[in-house]
Amino acid sequence: MSNDDNPYIKAYEREKRARLEAERQLEDSSRIIYKKNQALEDSYEKLKSQQALMLKQEKLATLGTLSAGVAHEINNPLAFVASNVSTLQSYLQLYQHVQTLLETHYPRETMVPALRSYLEANDFEYINEDAEELLEDTLEGLKRVANIVQSLKNFAYDQPAKRQSADINEGIESTLKLLKLPLEHIEVEKHLAPLPNIDCNPSELNQVILNLLTNAADALDGRSQPKISIKTYLNGSEILITISDNGCGMPESVVSNIFVPFFTTKDVGKGTGMGMSISYGIVESHGGSIEVISEEDKGSEFTIRLPVT
Amino acid sequence: MKGIVFNILEEMVIEKCGMAAWNELLETALPDEDGAFTAGKSYPDENLFALVHAASAKLETPAEQIISGLGEYMFGELAKRYPIFIEQAPDLKTFLLSVDQVIHTEVRKLYDDPNLPSFEYTQLDSGALLMEYRSPRKLCILAEGLIRGAAHHYQTPITLSHPTCMHTGSDHCDLIVEFGDEQ
Repeated sequence: MSNDDNPYIKAYEREKRARLEAERQLEDSSRIIYKKNQALEDSYEKLKSQQALMLKQEKLATLGTLSAGVAHEINNPLAFVASNVSTLQSYLQLYQHVQTLLETHYPRETMVPALRSYLEANDFEYINEDAEELLEDTLEGLKRVANIVQSLKNFAYDQPAKRQSADINEGIESTLKLLKLPLEHIEVEKHLAPLPNIDCNPSELNQVILNLLTNAADALDGRSQPKISIKTYLNGSEILITISDNGCGMPESVVSNIFVPFFTTKDVGKGTGMGMSISYGIVESHGGSIEVISEEDKGSEFTIRLPVT
Repeated sequence: MKGIVFNILEEMVIEKCGMAAWNELLETALPDEDGAFTAGKSYPDENLFALVHAASAKLETPAEQIISGLGEYMFGELAKRYPIFIEQAPDLKTFLLSVDQVIHTEVRKLYDDPNLPSFEYTQLDSGALLMEYRSPRKLCILAEGLIRGAAHHYQTPITLSHPTCMHTGSDHCDLIVEFGDEQ
């Protein structure tokens, strides 16, 4: 039988074509599965980072509630302690005046011996001076406590909203003027795109910018060619503000706690640890968000997103 | 129509009439096609109908009879390829009830856009099973053949009636399966 007559030759050729087609389909399917798997992995990664972000926000929200509660509880005793210390100050002045009058009209030599020896034994001159100072220090301490309580309240955005239409770029310019001295040796690069006015509390937002710029300046301390870039632009219905520096950057342990109240890397007495948490509270109260990316020894970048109202 | 249906038709023709007959059918019915069919690929429905009509003319047998025969033969071939679905169903009725929700669900996992028919079931008081068939292809005769093939496989005598049909203007077909023995 010749090949032309053999029906299986044709069948074989058909089978071969069908097999090649099946192999091609298999490859196509593998490719599709690979791509879908890739997309799934990407989504999973995004989901994980979103979850981490949510947990962080949850933590900060809890801290906000806690801060508001603590602030409220401290505020009441603080008010009467401060008021009592002020009253004590005026009472002390009265006592001191009485003492001066007594000493003027009844010199020590004329005093009964018991009183004279008691006065001499207890060094009332020193007590007088020290009591004044003690009360002043106490009042100063109370002021500091009041400031911290206020910061906690700010973080918990327990503030009445005073909103007005304002231009973010103007706020940035005026804040930069305020910081002329601390930024003296730093190159400041500005790319401020025209922005629509938004309903906001301009002084609060300026405080956020001030905090970020101050931190950037601190991160640039002792660095060569220090530089801060400030960029604003409109992205859809959002205003984005990025402030980046080429400073010392932060390790992950700092980045993940940066918005937590009282978290600070500065030396004791140099920072309250409330600046970034207050900034977080302010941006949140404006319906926006604040994020940070940082690399050690390379620098940090803060991004604030604010909705256009 | 998925290539697997063409593959099974091909196997049936070769088994019953030989390779030369299949070659001839392809040349008559689909002179412009290469005649190679891959299971998972979709081919025009008309190609199947053209092959069935060519076979009908050659064998001088009504097309319905060929389609029904294909259905019956197809059950055996599908059972060989996918034995799991048969193993999961202990009897004919259980198997028929699993077609829409179990088997067709699995088919959709494997093939894009398989254009499967849909079945709705009613268990009649008499013990019979009413299967409402819906498909734009109106291949109710193929479904009948498949049911007969399944009955043969399960060695269950059935009486199959088809009182309502899409070919006579209804929007669906009623396929009533009466089981010879108690299910």
